[in-house]
Amino acid sequence: MARRRVAITGLGLVSPLGADPQEFFARLLRGESGISLLSSDDDRGVISRPASQCLNFDPEAALGKALTHTMDRFSQLGASAAFSAWQDAGFELDNNPERVDFGVAWGTGVGGVLTYEQGYRNLYKNNQRMVSPLSVVLGMNNAAAAHIAIKLGLGGPNNTYSVACASSTIAIGEAFHQIRDGKASLMLVGGSEAPLAFGVVRAWEALRVLSSGNAENAASACRPFNKDRTGLVLGEGAGALVIEDWEHATARGARIYAELVGYGSSCDHSHLVRPSGAGEIRAMQNALDDGRLDIDQIDYVNAHGTATQEGDPTEISSLKTIFGHRAPSLPVSATKSMHGHMLGATGAIEAIITVLAINKNAIPPTAQLNEIDPNCLGVNHVRGAALTDVRLRAALSNSFAFGGANAVLAFRAV
Amino acid sequence: MDTLQVIRDFLSEQYGIPVEKIAPETALDQLGIDSLMFIELLFEFDSKFGIPAPEKDIGDIKTIGELVALVDKIRAERK
Repeated sequence: MARRRVAITGLGLVSPLGADPQEFFARLLRGESGISLLSSDDDRGVISRPASQCLNFDPEAALGKALTHTMDRFSQLGASAAFSAWQDAGFELDNNPERVDFGVAWGTGVGGVLTYEQGYRNLYKNNQRMVSPLSVVLGMNNAAAAHIAIKLGLGGPNNTYSVACASSTIAIGEAFHQIRDGKASLMLVGGSEAPLAFGVVRAWEALRVLSSGNAENAASACRPFNKDRTGLVLGEGAGALVIEDWEHATARGARIYAELVGYGSSCDHSHLVRPSGAGEIRAMQNALDDGRLDIDQIDYVNAHGTATQEGDPTEISSLKTIFGHRAPSLPVSATKSMHGHMLGATGAIEAIITVLAINKNAIPPTAQLNEIDPNCLGVNHVRGAALTDVRLRAALSNSFAFGGANAVLAFRAV
Repeated sequence: MDTLQVIRDFLSEQYGIPVEKIAPETALDQLGIDSLMFIELLFEFDSKFGIPAPEKDIGDIKTIGELVALVDKIRAERK
C-alpha cells in the first residue's frame, strides 16, 4: 500500500508566552523567557520555584462556564489549544457533522492531578466526607481527548498516551502513522499538562532536578547546555496540531505549514531516569529512516535539552554520533530555556516550534546560553540571537522521557 | 434557605444557565441536566442542607419542581 503523505494544517497552543502560535514564535526568536516565580504559601510549607505559568489564560473566556466547570485545568488548557488549532486549520467550532475518519491523539504525563490533590485535601485535611462527583471525569487522563472529540464530532480513534516527557511526541507520531497507513484522514494531536500542584512540585523537588531562583532571576533559571545550569523548570501549557492526509488537505484548499515525514521511538531499557545515548540514537535514526531522510537534509534540531546535569551532555553526544561530520554545523537549540518543561505537553509545543522554524526559515535560540559546558560542545548551538538567514529543508524534534522512552519527529518543508 | 434558590445558584454559577430559565415547571432535559449534573445537585443539597443524597424516588424526577418537592420532603422529615 502506498504511504500517504501527512500535512500539518493547523496550530494552536496555550503557553506562558501567549496563546497565539505566531506571537509565541516571534517572542522565542527574540529570546524572551516565559518563566516566572511560582510562590505559594500553603500551610504544609512554602513553595518558591521558577516555573512557566499560563498566567493570562482565562478558561471561562476561552471555553465558557459549563465546559470550564467540567474540566480539570489540564483539559482546559488542552481543549483551548485544540479548538484554536481546529479553527486555524479552517474549520468551524460549532455544528460540525460527525466524522468517523477524524480522531484525536493526546499526551499528558500527570493528567488531572490538580483534581486529585483537591480531593485528597478535602478528605484528609478538611475532614469532608465526600469528594466532588465530577472527580473521576475531571481527573482521568483521557478527559482532554474526550472533550475535544465531543465538541468537534470526531468519531475516529481517540487515544491518550502517558509516557512522561515524551507523551505528546508519541501521540503525534502514532497518529501520523495512522494517517499514513490510511486509518484516518485527519487527527487533532498534541498534549496538555497542568502539573503545578503542591504535591507534584514537592515530588520534583525531592528528585533534586529543579532549578532554583527568586523573583529577580527566575526568568533565566533554565539554562540548557550552559556550564552553570542548575536543572529544569516545570511548566504548564498545551500544544495542538491538525495533521491531515495530504490529498484531503489539498482537496479542501487548506494551508500547509510543513510536512510530517518521520517518527521514531525507542526505550533505553537501562535506568528510570539516567538517559542512555544508545536509546536516543536509535530513536533519532528510526525517525530519519521512517522519513527517508539523510543527515545532510536536516537543518535544525529542537533538542530535548532540559538543563539537567546528565541529560544535556548525553543528548549532544547522541547528536554527534548520529550526525557525524554534519554535527559541528548542525543548528541546535533548546527552547525549554524560554517556555520551561511542560512534561507531557512539551513535545507538542516543541513540534509547533519546529514546524514554524521550517515554515518561517528562522531558528529560535537557546536562551541563557552564555558559556557552553565543555561536555556539550560539538554542535552549532544557536544562542544569543535567532538564526534568520537560513533555509530549512527538514528538522527534528527530540523528546527523551523518564522511564527511558525516547521519541523523535521529523518534519520537512513544503 | 430555599431549595429552588440553591438549584438556581448552582446551575447559574457553575454552568452559566440563566436564572430566569430555572422554574418549577422547567424540565431537567430542557436545561441540559444530565446524570452527572444531577448527582452534582444531590451533593449540593448535602452540602447546603446536610441531607444525604436520596437513593430512592429520584429516577422519576422530570422537572425542577419535582426535585424541589422531593428535597423539601426529606428536609421536613429530618426536622
